[in-house]
Amino acid sequence: MSLEQVAIGTTARVADVSGADAVSLRLLEMGLTPGVQVRVVSTAPLGGPLELELRGYRLSIRRHEAARVAIAN
Amino acid sequence: MSLTPDGPVVPAGGRSPAGTGSRPLVVALLGNPNTGKSTLFSALAGIPTRIGNYPGVTVEEKVGRCTHRGRAIELVDLPGTYSLVAKSPDEQVAVDVLRGRLPGVPAPDCIVVVADATNLERNLYLATQALGLGMPTVIALTLSDVADARGITIDATELGRRLGCAVIRVATPSGMGLEALGDAVLAAAESPPRPPRGLDGHLAAVDAGREPAAREAIARYAWIDELLAGVVSRRPPVRRSIGERIDDLLTHRVWGTLAFAATMLAMFSSIFWLATPLMDGISAAMDWLSGHVAAVLPEGAIRSLLVDGVLAGVAGVVVFVPQIAMLFLFVAVLEGCGYLSRAAFLMDRLLCGVGLGGKSFIPLLSSFACAIPGIMAARTIEHRRDRLLTILVAPLMSCSARLPVYLLLCGAFVPNVPVGFAWLRLPAVVLVGMYGVGVVTAALVAFILSRTVFHGPPQPFVMELPGWRWPQWQVVLERVREAVWSFLQNAGTLIVAVSIVIWALATYPRSEAAIDAEVAAVRRQLVDRLAGLPAGGSDHAQAEEELASLDTDAGREAVRRGAAQRQSLLGRMGRVVEPVVRPLGWDWRLGCAAIASFPAREVVLGTLAVIYNLGDVDPADEEGGSALVRRLRAATWDGTNRKVFTLPTALSIMVFFALCAQCASTLVVIGRETGSWIWPVVTFSYMTSLAWLAAFATYQIGTWLGG
Repeated sequence: MSLEQVAIGTTARVADVSGADAVSLRLLEMGLTPGVQVRVVSTAPLGGPLELELRGYRLSIRRHEAARVAIAN
Repeated sequence: MSLTPDGPVVPAGGRSPAGTGSRPLVVALLGNPNTGKSTLFSALAGIPTRIGNYPGVTVEEKVGRCTHRGRAIELVDLPGTYSLVAKSPDEQVAVDVLRGRLPGVPAPDCIVVVADATNLERNLYLATQALGLGMPTVIALTLSDVADARGITIDATELGRRLGCAVIRVATPSGMGLEALGDAVLAAAESPPRPPRGLDGHLAAVDAGREPAAREAIARYAWIDELLAGVVSRRPPVRRSIGERIDDLLTHRVWGTLAFAATMLAMFSSIFWLATPLMDGISAAMDWLSGHVAAVLPEGAIRSLLVDGVLAGVAGVVVFVPQIAMLFLFVAVLEGCGYLSRAAFLMDRLLCGVGLGGKSFIPLLSSFACAIPGIMAARTIEHRRDRLLTILVAPLMSCSARLPVYLLLCGAFVPNVPVGFAWLRLPAVVLVGMYGVGVVTAALVAFILSRTVFHGPPQPFVMELPGWRWPQWQVVLERVREAVWSFLQNAGTLIVAVSIVIWALATYPRSEAAIDAEVAAVRRQLVDRLAGLPAGGSDHAQAEEELASLDTDAGREAVRRGAAQRQSLLGRMGRVVEPVVRPLGWDWRLGCAAIASFPAREVVLGTLAVIYNLGDVDPADEEGGSALVRRLRAATWDGTNRKVFTLPTALSIMVFFALCAQCASTLVVIGRETGSWIWPVVTFSYMTSLAWLAAFATYQIGTWLGG
């Protein structure tokens, strides 16, 4: 399961970020590292980006970027 | 560690030791975007810098000077960055400055890492990377007052002990901690740095098969978690903070979108309507000045140059100032409180489809009022590719200068018949259609360019949504001042120069004898026409009236002006381009008016009025407009009775104006904002070609359908 599928308002724990390019590195650098708790705050209309809360701040990423973030069950 | 592929940093050779002699101590400010870095810079060095609440605002290098305990300090404000493993040109600049690799920029003697105390976990990521460089480093915890208010307590001394560097709590509005920060910088520059070694143990715990940079990122956060254990404590919030609740509402799919639409509507309409009286005031003041200059100076080339060249050019520049100031006021306020990131968040999906991003929305929306402030607002887009694409398509949005052309031609040549409903009239549909032509073309151009010329790896949209804050009014006013000043200073001078060139083209060569001959020819033609018309008819009465007005001083002067313009270089160019504009259904007069309006499309109606011998009527007012409409309706192709202005011709003119780059000011601003003369040339070429092709198709299809 990926972060893209997490329901709004729920909290999930990151398992891993796939890929070895600049985008996945940026996701890791912004704090989406394995084990961190993430809450999906909201989504933009028309299938737009997600708003996340992690490590005490808010971050927005697009859906296909969220799809790279695997969630621990 | 993987951060130092070039080996350890060595001080640049041949320099005197830092802080001795005449050389100031070079201190670099490094930090994430939105950490109050630029505010700290202003508080320390006093030179006002542009700051905001939107990631990536600080894109330029900024240097300031101050002294602390008698020691001269040179403060370098680095672009905001999240990591020292650079992914964007901005971040590369930060890394290059730290390593002393930028020519002419000395390597810093000390780094001050600016870390947001309310968001310490993520801010320590960059701070620990900086410590790994092995240079003297001090950490400044900004927004410490905000952290206190939120119940976040930080044991700065213990954190400093764990990191092996000074950690100073600062708060810029009150000036708290600035003295201590200065002392810590001087002390750090004197003593050898002690890079912390805590990362190594965590690196060993991460899967060795991973890519090194990813491995380092995971290990670094694990180290940060260890560093912060027992150092940061949060008082559990009694209830959700106001900021969080505002944020939940404003990023909500439904309420957030509605709030966004209302905000944009309010902003857009105020730029449109609030700026109008100011612009009218400026125009009236410039007219008054021109009138006085014209009254004082004797008639001749100098008066014409001053009034029609210089003053008209200056008026064409300052008239944009209210819109620029208004837009930047709104943008600075929205940016200062954190809303701009939310707007980009809400609009991203819509613009993603055509190869742009959420941050392109405000520049494009503003371009409906005027492309110049819109293009300047594209500064808030940090990805160069997205910014360039936005700048290239922004002039396709129908700006307020196209509106008079649409209104005149729709009113005069589009039949006022209902379309489906009694209240929906064809001219209104055509008017909306002209705005649509611009929007659809912009979407197509952006879509095609993003998949061809600007093709590249997808731009990540990993954007921080900074916490809600009150905008600081000094910062907002500084933004407005800087935008207006840079426009006047850089673009303004060029625009005036272009206006003078066009004045010269429309004025020279000038032969009084040839003008007199043409006036006589016009009168003879009119007399002949009168003789051929049956007496008592309305045509006869109209021709009689025209002849009477021609025999007045004003009437003769109007025809003289028209004759002078037709004989000028500009008029000759109109005849030269006739083969080019004929397929669009235009005669040479229209070609001439189109050429004259390349510097500024708003002059087209005035130019048409002069070419059609109306003199200085104002086509924008009702009487002048209807006089121009009568003249245009009566215009025939040279030597025939065939009318020039038919519905297909009117549509082809409107489509041409919708798509053509007829604004020298916009092109100058594009050159300034992109720092290259290639982009204005590209914009001009593609827009003018598209405009011609679309006008050609419109006229040919329209004629075919009509015939």
